[in-house]
Amino acid sequence: MSFLSPWMIAAAAGLTVPPLLLLYFLKLRRQEMPISSTFLWKRAVEDLHVNAPFQRLRSNLLLILQLLILLLAAIALGKPMLEQALSHESTLVLMIDQSASMTVAEANGLTRLEIAKREAKKLIDGMSDDARAMIIAFCDRATVVSSFDTNREALKRKVDSIEQTQSKSTLSEAIALAEAYSQNLIIGGQTTGSDIAPTSAAPAASAIIFTDGRVEDAANVSLERIRSDNVEVVTVGKRDDNVGIIAMDARRNYEQPDLLEVFATVQNFGPEPVRCDAVLRVRDEDGIASQIDVQELSLAPGRLSSEDAPPESGADENAESKEASSSGSKRQAAPPGSVAAVAFDEFAYTGGGIIEVSLTVDDALVADNRAWTVINPPRHVDVLLVTAGNLYLEKVFTGLPVSTKIISPAEYETLDDEALIEDGRSKFDVVILDRYSTDRLPQGNYFFWGSVPKIEGVSMGPRTEDVFIVNWDETHPILRHVNVETIQVYEEFPMQLPSDADVLLEGETSPVLSLLSRDGNDYLICSFPLIMEDAESGEPMANTWWFAKIHFPVFVFNAVQYMSASVAPGAKSSIPPGEPVQVPVANRRKSLNIVRPDGTVDEVPTGGATSTHYARTRLVGVYEARGATAGQDRFSVNLFNQNESDISPAASFSIGASKVASGSRLTSVNRPFWQWVLLGILGVLLFEWIVYNKRVFV
Amino acid sequence: MATRAKTSSNSNLLDPDFMARLERLEFVSRKIFAGKMRGERRSKRRGESVEFADHRPYVEGDDLRFLDWNIAARLDRFFIKQFLQEEDLHVSILLDASKSMEWGKPSKGHYAKQVAAALAYIGLSNHDRVSIYPYANGLVGELPGVRGKRLMAKVVDFLTTLEFEGAGNFTLACKQYAIRHPQRGIVLVLSDFFEKGGFETGLRYLLGRELDLYCIQVLSPEEIDPELAGDVRLVDVEDQDTAELTVSRALLNRYKQNLQAYCGSLKEYCTRRGISYLFTATDVPFDQLLLSYLRRRGLLK
Repeated sequence: MSFLSPWMIAAAAGLTVPPLLLLYFLKLRRQEMPISSTFLWKRAVEDLHVNAPFQRLRSNLLLILQLLILLLAAIALGKPMLEQALSHESTLVLMIDQSASMTVAEANGLTRLEIAKREAKKLIDGMSDDARAMIIAFCDRATVVSSFDTNREALKRKVDSIEQTQSKSTLSEAIALAEAYSQNLIIGGQTTGSDIAPTSAAPAASAIIFTDGRVEDAANVSLERIRSDNVEVVTVGKRDDNVGIIAMDARRNYEQPDLLEVFATVQNFGPEPVRCDAVLRVRDEDGIASQIDVQELSLAPGRLSSEDAPPESGADENAESKEASSSGSKRQAAPPGSVAAVAFDEFAYTGGGIIEVSLTVDDALVADNRAWTVINPPRHVDVLLVTAGNLYLEKVFTGLPVSTKIISPAEYETLDDEALIEDGRSKFDVVILDRYSTDRLPQGNYFFWGSVPKIEGVSMGPRTEDVFIVNWDETHPILRHVNVETIQVYEEFPMQLPSDADVLLEGETSPVLSLLSRDGNDYLICSFPLIMEDAESGEPMANTWWFAKIHFPVFVFNAVQYMSASVAPGAKSSIPPGEPVQVPVANRRKSLNIVRPDGTVDEVPTGGATSTHYARTRLVGVYEARGATAGQDRFSVNLFNQNESDISPAASFSIGASKVASGSRLTSVNRPFWQWVLLGILGVLLFEWIVYNKRVFV
Repeated sequence: MATRAKTSSNSNLLDPDFMARLERLEFVSRKIFAGKMRGERRSKRRGESVEFADHRPYVEGDDLRFLDWNIAARLDRFFIKQFLQEEDLHVSILLDASKSMEWGKPSKGHYAKQVAAALAYIGLSNHDRVSIYPYANGLVGELPGVRGKRLMAKVVDFLTTLEFEGAGNFTLACKQYAIRHPQRGIVLVLSDFFEKGGFETGLRYLLGRELDLYCIQVLSPEEIDPELAGDVRLVDVEDQDTAELTVSRALLNRYKQNLQAYCGSLKEYCTRRGISYLFTATDVPFDQLLLSYLRRRGLLK
């Protein structure tokens, strides 16, 4: 409740109350009356005093009532306004953003999520008795917190139960859920079995979205059943000061794996220039943390108000930030100087552990001030090359930083199990089988040249000529820096592969290079060998000149790295919040214990499988999977989302093509209610009249 | 005679028609009392009237005049004839003359005077001995035993000149009366019984004398159903005691309840002890009170 003219209350009360009190003090002049005997009267008065409660109050009841009237009148003069979330719609869908940007604590100490909850509850309170509402919470996914319900108390409890997450916000799923539910509701009220599209007498559902406007896919959402003018957005939050790490990686030096390089990209999203420190820490496998490096950052404002001329970059003194601004972001170009790339000095670190970069800054959003990545000790990649003799491959491997063992196919078949298998997996990171196929395939990674593994659904046709590579997946890491256009191949064995195989090089009729995953094994299958016996003479002849190209060793190294990396993760160890992660299970254990960043432990049943999925990753930080395969038992969850880090609430909000009413129409309906106060005065006046006339009280 | 009494007293205490009708009434007493003079009432004492009462065996010393010779002749035994003796009745009227009786419209005092005069007249008409004792703080005057209708003027004069003054003390009045009047008889108390000292002790003094007691409580309509409003300060006319109160419905109801309870307690006290109790308001016409009400209650016949 607020008053338009609060001073009127004081003035009116000050002018009227003292005279009334004065009148009361002056008033009592009792009329004198002779009576035959006061005997019975005194007794009556005493009886009444003994029996009547609040007699002190009662003796002044008229005064109190009159004071009340004056006060009410004064309040009415103050033009009271009631802030009310009024809603006449009978079907409401409340969508509440629970993403990372909603953790921002606003000026009143409440987080945006708490404000959104409060507004939602206010709205629920304002619902009419027969109105229904459903509640959906959304972040990277949408959850139905409550289906349609008319019980306001239950709805409010459900609103309270919405949890804060640290993931990004997407709306499409929430909208889809809302539309599905409201559609069901309409159909549910109709007779079924009719061909006529159900049209309900119930008014269309209206959706109210409580968000700070930082919704990633708002532009891609399409509204079908809910009309866009039935959608309203309640924007919560005002703060916009935030500095966040939007990217971070740790890499080992190619030539000297003992050296570790750490990069991070930091962006200032706030309107003020920011100076802060980026601190690099390493937590080794024993959990002992040590600070490695500190870099001072100076970031220009990330937000330009429209009146401001583009500020001269405050980052002149910082060469790094200048470079960073040119690298830019995918979003609208960040103002120059607001993005800084931090490259920490290389440092020697041979152990495994967790690399953490944190910003020493006090800003609105905490989730993006720290970033983690899991590193493993530098590993020597062991490659087993099974070939009857292939000079080109052997030569290539001598130049690569891997240790290679070369054996013949016959030797492979007779190799002891101890020499080949360790912990149920192949001892070698990658086994390369050159023109040789076998079913001795312990769990591991295999690269077949001109042959296919003997597994179900994979077969090889007769040799055919004239191979044309018509299409390729240039984004795949294996093909990075590989100039596929220049590859010429004479002959191949066309492959038949299961449909889930990942085709990297595609020929005219069949795949040329494919990646297939089966039961934890990765197979990279190339349909052509490097060397092919001549059809007539049987002389080995080069089948392609690819090995003469400079990008051939790059390809081989990519392949070996990619496949061994699937054993020793590094690049995959950071995932965005909310994304499920695959955890390999050691020794087919029945369950895993996952230690979450907040210290709680989740028990995940595995069902005896070799790997399991874990999806409760909505908190940023490092997760440790106890019972997972060694070296793969940790993963980090980082926000790395410019959209979430840019916490300033969106001024306008559009869903799909239509702009949606944004703002506070719903929550700040100011209704004057001096009429009700006047009505109250009349009521009190009536009561006072009754009291005076009937003399109900002493 | 009645007319003369009326005119000579120059008061409207009794009107002549009414007095004529009173003549036909006489006192009845539920008990038969022994009196000083023979009146028109039977006495327990065997006397010399003409009316035969009983026989009893002759003992030495008996008056031979009352010997029943016929029985002596027939049975050869001696019996004494006994006759009923007629006595006069002593009627005392204790009239409350305190200041509070002057209150009300018509005033309770005036009404009580009327009733007292009428009762006195009836008593006189029946040759009863009538005494009037006004009391306030103790007995304040006395009209001792008058007898015979011709003294009615005296009674009226006495009543007319009677002033209502001072605070009432019923207990003291009863005590004084009981000491002064050892004789038995009828005692009528005319009062509002608003006694701050209580009525019980006083009545007990009278009861100890084995008197035939009648209590007539006279209240004005203003006392029964007060018409007060607003903030008032009530002043007791007798002792100037004040009570400040804001009149409310609840208070009025409570007052009426208390009044009823008080009268009820008085009535119960009287009934338990064989005292006839009568309640009257001054708006009940006093002739109606006497002619029908009192007769119905057994005071008159």
